[in-house]
Amino acid sequence: MRVIDVHTHPVMFKAGLKPAEVRWLVAHGRSLGITRMVGLGDVLLHGRNFTAEQIVEVNDDSARVQRLAPDYFRFFCFLNPRLGERAVMREVERCVERHGFIGLKLEICNNARDACMRPVMQAARRWRLPVLQHSWSQTNLRQRSFHTDPADTALLARRHPDVAIIMAHLTGCGVRGVLEARGLPNLYVDTSGGLPEAGLVEFAVEHLGAERVLHGSDLPFRSAGVAIERIKGAKLTPAQQRMILHDNAARLLNLG
Amino acid sequence: MLIDVNAYLGWWPFGLVAEPTARQLVRVLAASGIDRAAVSHLGAVFAPEPMTANRRLFTACRRERSLAPVPIVNPLLADWREQLAECAAAGVRAVRLVPNYHNYRLKSRRLDPFMAATEAAGLRVVLSARLEDERHRYFALRIKPVAAAEIGAFLARFPRHHVLCTALTLNEVVELAPAHANFSADLSYAEHMAFADQLRGKVALARLMFGSLAPMISARAQAAKLAATSFTPAERRQIGERNARAFFRL
Repeated sequence: MRVIDVHTHPVMFKAGLKPAEVRWLVAHGRSLGITRMVGLGDVLLHGRNFTAEQIVEVNDDSARVQRLAPDYFRFFCFLNPRLGERAVMREVERCVERHGFIGLKLEICNNARDACMRPVMQAARRWRLPVLQHSWSQTNLRQRSFHTDPADTALLARRHPDVAIIMAHLTGCGVRGVLEARGLPNLYVDTSGGLPEAGLVEFAVEHLGAERVLHGSDLPFRSAGVAIERIKGAKLTPAQQRMILHDNAARLLNLG
Repeated sequence: MLIDVNAYLGWWPFGLVAEPTARQLVRVLAASGIDRAAVSHLGAVFAPEPMTANRRLFTACRRERSLAPVPIVNPLLADWREQLAECAAAGVRAVRLVPNYHNYRLKSRRLDPFMAATEAAGLRVVLSARLEDERHRYFALRIKPVAAAEIGAFLARFPRHHVLCTALTLNEVVELAPAHANFSADLSYAEHMAFADQLRGKVALARLMFGSLAPMISARAQAAKLAATSFTPAERRQIGERNARAFFRL
């Protein structure tokens, strides 16, 4: 079964940039059946409040990896919404038009409910890009001033129904995250992050439909093989598994 | 052959899967490539006194020979000697401690006679650092994991015991390993694309075992963890089977 992993960090803390490292990752992914990886950038390299120069550095590193294996990697443009409209628009334009990036990635610079998200969503609309928002339940973490809870990601999707949004980290969002995502057809959930909790993928499919669940691993923090077997081991039909592992991402991200 | 050192019977109230029977657990593990398992009963985590659940565990494991019982005991209860005696009489090879759920600290002096008694009875000790990810667990639960520093002090206090610590994170394993040679760790919580490389050279492979945390965590996914690593087939056999056999004398 072909697999598209929509949540990877091929470069993390500057590791993964060397051609040999890129070749190894491509071979590793292919050995697991992963035909394409969506890279999201070195998003923790400078903490949580990146300057414009640091954002450019991360995206240029991503572009370097994409150039080394263009048939395998496609990257999302990493952004710090707090830098303002001009910086956001400039970076999106640069990454889309120069590097061919295919989405926007948001981490923990701010909460997705913040007003500074408006230019990001304008950019998503203008360039027809999906937005992948790091999301994690804040019930226990209590970092909501900058860390997005699944309820915040759902609010973002509600405010911008014409933009495809991916709520990252199914395990971190949990049951509550899945329930928040109900009734929002522009909101997808990716299965990355955390231990492969039994029953959660099935719960997401039951409440959202298999067409709104995307396979992701969050490598290198997580094992790509473990993430795939989580889907293959779930009580789903082969058609549902195929949608999650490949077809949904292929359609949403135009990755044939 | 894959031996799981961190599997459970009983009901986990914070998850989405129904309580499995012993037969169902064996089937799930077998379908995931796991041939044998050291199993504890979750009822003993939550009950005021653990032995009722442990007796259910003994009965279940007598029927399913691929399951080896690892009863959960509470050394802070006044009947801890009776708990240990009943476990030893049931022929178990190890007992499990869940200090954060049973509301005691590893520095408790009450553990001195308990650890001496386990040694006298020839019982190994398994220590659960956590049973779930504290970052996104159900809001009603406020139980913290056992801190690595607390585990380190415990290991230093009982140097003659070789303790199996389950559900340590990769960082915790690497943090504890240089100073404490008297523990092994399962890999249920240790995960990273390159975790084999991160452990190699820092922790002797003889101290690593496979654990799944099934049925709360997908056994099939966990079983894939060793496969796509830089461990050689011989090293995988050592981690996945031989170390557990030696520890539990299976």
